[in-house]
Amino acid sequence: MSKLKAIKYIFSLVLLVFFAQSMAQDAPEPVVTDFGTGGTLISFWNGLSGSDGVTLNEMLGKFVEETPGVSVRTEIIDWGTLYPKLQTAFVAGEPPDVFIVHASEVAQFQSYGMLKDLSYLYDTNGGTLPSADFAQPGFNGVFVDGVPYGVPLDNHGRGTWANVGLFEAAGIEPHIPNNFDDLVAMLQQLTLDVNGNNAASADFDAANVAQWGTCMEWIYTDFESYLWQFGGSIISEDGKTATVNSEAAISALQRMHDLIYKYHVSPEPAGFDSWQSWAGGKVALVPTGTWFRNFAEDQTDIKGQALPAMQVGPNPGTWFGSHVFMIPAGLEGEKLAAVEKMILWVTDHQAMWAGSGQVPARISVQESLDPALYPSNITIGKTFQEYGHLEVVSKAILELQAALDPELGSALNNQKSIEDALNDANKRMQQVLDRNQ
Amino acid sequence: MKRDQFFRALPSYAYLIILGLIVVLPLILIFSQSLMSNQEINRWPPKIYTPEPVFSNYVNMFKRPDLKLGRWLFNSIFAATAYTLAVFLICAPAAYAFARLRFPGNNVLFFILLATVMVPGQVTLIPNFLLVRNLHMLDTFNVLIWPGAANVFAVFLLRQFFMQVPRELEEAAVLDGASYWGRFWRIIMPLSTNALVALGIFVFLGHYNDLFWPLITTNSIEMRTLPVGLTLLNFSYGGMERPLVLAGAIFASIPVLIVYIIFQRQIIKGVAMTGMGGR
Amino acid sequence: MQNSESSNAGKAVPKRYRLSLKTRETLAAYLFLLPFILLFSVFVIRATFYAIQMSFFDWTILKPIKPFIGLANYKELINDDVWWLALRNTLYFSIITVIGTSAVALAAALAINQPKVKGKEFFRVLLYMPSLLSVGVIGLTWVWLLNTQFGIVNYLLSFLGIRPINWLGNANLVIPALSLTTIWWGFGFPMLIFLAGLQGIPEQLYEAARIDGARTGQIFWRITLPLLRPTLLFITVTGFIAHFQVFGQPFIMTRGGPGRASYTVIFYLYEAAWRAFRMGYGSAIAVALAFIIIFFTLLQFRFIGRRVEY
Repeated sequence: MSKLKAIKYIFSLVLLVFFAQSMAQDAPEPVVTDFGTGGTLISFWNGLSGSDGVTLNEMLGKFVEETPGVSVRTEIIDWGTLYPKLQTAFVAGEPPDVFIVHASEVAQFQSYGMLKDLSYLYDTNGGTLPSADFAQPGFNGVFVDGVPYGVPLDNHGRGTWANVGLFEAAGIEPHIPNNFDDLVAMLQQLTLDVNGNNAASADFDAANVAQWGTCMEWIYTDFESYLWQFGGSIISEDGKTATVNSEAAISALQRMHDLIYKYHVSPEPAGFDSWQSWAGGKVALVPTGTWFRNFAEDQTDIKGQALPAMQVGPNPGTWFGSHVFMIPAGLEGEKLAAVEKMILWVTDHQAMWAGSGQVPARISVQESLDPALYPSNITIGKTFQEYGHLEVVSKAILELQAALDPELGSALNNQKSIEDALNDANKRMQQVLDRNQ
Repeated sequence: MKRDQFFRALPSYAYLIILGLIVVLPLILIFSQSLMSNQEINRWPPKIYTPEPVFSNYVNMFKRPDLKLGRWLFNSIFAATAYTLAVFLICAPAAYAFARLRFPGNNVLFFILLATVMVPGQVTLIPNFLLVRNLHMLDTFNVLIWPGAANVFAVFLLRQFFMQVPRELEEAAVLDGASYWGRFWRIIMPLSTNALVALGIFVFLGHYNDLFWPLITTNSIEMRTLPVGLTLLNFSYGGMERPLVLAGAIFASIPVLIVYIIFQRQIIKGVAMTGMGGR
Repeated sequence: MQNSESSNAGKAVPKRYRLSLKTRETLAAYLFLLPFILLFSVFVIRATFYAIQMSFFDWTILKPIKPFIGLANYKELINDDVWWLALRNTLYFSIITVIGTSAVALAAALAINQPKVKGKEFFRVLLYMPSLLSVGVIGLTWVWLLNTQFGIVNYLLSFLGIRPINWLGNANLVIPALSLTTIWWGFGFPMLIFLAGLQGIPEQLYEAARIDGARTGQIFWRITLPLLRPTLLFITVTGFIAHFQVFGQPFIMTRGGPGRASYTVIFYLYEAAWRAFRMGYGSAIAVALAFIIIFFTLLQFRFIGRRVEY
């Protein structure tokens, strides 16, 4: 090939770059993740993906419009990447000015001395944030030894979504029965094989299912919900002992297992895409979280309805977490003032956040939501206050999750017996706890 | 006779065509799906071609406020090019010394080099991160260029190649009074264009597609490379906007494809001459 | 021998010219090496020793106090079921991927190298194309291709009457499935190397064999393969080193699942170091892996390399 030809190619490559950049600049909508220009620029990291991120960006756009002198640069980084990124950024001495992680992780980040004591922002210490208005038990999550290190944005947690059409076809009103037997009976009616027989009928062909009653989605959180329903928990109250091989835990996991292998109302979890299957009309009742709202609404050909989490154990119970604003310990001056303004503004406008599907952290906002516009937020949000459990707070929560999660998958995919899986998980979790005493 | 030869080549054709289909089908799918709407992509049975292509994914990709694809592409190409040049500049002289010059410790040093190839890349990640932080190199192009510039793979291949250049060519230059540098720069390097191109492509590709190092060493959105940005795109929009993600993936792959097509003949020649082929 | 020569050279006056030439050559060599050695010792040697040192500490990047704990990380590693599982998975993955890649690549190279095959350049470009993509794109694409319900692979198999296969969800299939993806992605590079190797085999050898009446199969086993042995060694050694460090495929495609069926060593290292914040333990994993890689490399030199004549 001649040199001339190579030069031509390289030239066109350069053109391509400029073309790309000019296209980026010609975009009619306001550009970039930078909201506002000039004034104090604050950087803001979070893992709020999907419709969460879209909603947040709308809020920040409005915030800078109303707040002269402050501009915001957000970066949405998936949670799995956000943690390494936060660690290295803190070590590099260039942390973001404000970031969001989960309430259950406050203790861990606080133990590294990363976080600023935010008590002065609350009315109990001369600030303006109304402490009493933040929904419990979520609000407890931001405290470590009585000191608040964050400002909660929302509660997000487990519920279910019903495909109303499939329920109607089976002649069932969408609801969650309050005991396991009725739940199984209902799901059996909703599970159909390729010949149209449901899972309760004698002719049911379990090997050729066309429509599932339910499925497994985020196994870890559902297992924890059901464990609480049986009166257990993954660790003891003092946080020193792993209790995930308790009888309650075995019962909870056994019933999840039964839904798949005994009653055939749920597919094997591995390799089953629950969201896509819901969108394809192949699952009647998908266990999922508040964040499912906009995905459900985007599927215009399916009528969805949010319901509380399934009741597998004797008592109701559901898992929820909380997204929390945090400020790095070292932040001072102008930037701190700007970050405070942003947090206060967002807290005042939490109603907008309901658009993401999540449940605003403030009780007054929860109560002000229009039931016609935010049915899922209200239905599921109510359960958090009534019988919800905030994700376990521990200095090693991320590691505990990593120890437990794969074992649950092993058990539910029949790679290990339920007892073995939970015993193995318990052993690893105990090691983690011992190390972090 | 001709027919006979055709039949002898038949199994080869059959294999190449089947393999070619296996290779190309997923690539076509990536492309056609990038032209589908969010709804269309979830349909069953899956479609290979879409009657109504949607180009909005490509347009949206650039309108997305959180995607600076143009800037990221520039970063990636610039950093990978600079890195490749740095590798040449640093590794070629070293390879020449190993191949042609006699000095104490030659073998020991070369053995140490080869031994480090077996150390997993993750080992050096954290120490190097801490070092570049102390050197205030974070979030600059320097951090994407220098830490990996001592590329053992490059030294190994260039050494193999230089060893095959006939010594007589150099000896003629010695008689003309050429210095060591002159011999290297004016005799050896010009003879090595193909090998350098081949090596350059592999080095460039490796750098262009690297994810983890740029992820942890660049903080600002302006300094992201394309793979880092695309990871963001993938995770931020998840399964919800697959076509958009695929459009981004194609955008990222076009530059390397162009580079490969331009240089592929030299790559083959270069590979043959670096002795990776065993001669 | 060399030593005695140089020490003699130091004393003997008539040999001064030779000495200075030698010194000059040495000096030049070191100057040529200087930039490389500088960067190499800082970013490779120093970093490696630093990592080894870290493995003896309870090293958390954000904690100011990082206590020395001796061999505790290694003791924990020996008793860590997940580490052994990850190692087994990695070994399994590496072996089938190296064998698969080499076989596909060698066959492709042989086919392209067939004198009567036209469009060599076309195939060379086409078959190398997947190697140009990043692991992120590969992972994303193949997750969808291998999807149990919606994937195109199962869709195509359904025409052959094969029921949907749970590629990434079945604990026994997940490693082969990841390996398949990796072979698809990576066979282009070894193919180029094999092509180069084949072109280095003199045509006269084949002709001589044909005159002697050798069949195609015999030519392959008696001439081609033995002469390609150095190439094969290069491919398998570099392949093993690379595939032992597999990370992106399980990270993007399976997150280590189902259960821990696709946990690989580097995936586990990533989890320990960056998710659990335990970089000391992560370093111990990395150091142990380095030893294992070295062991397997030596093993390959023994088995394939012994019969290689350089």
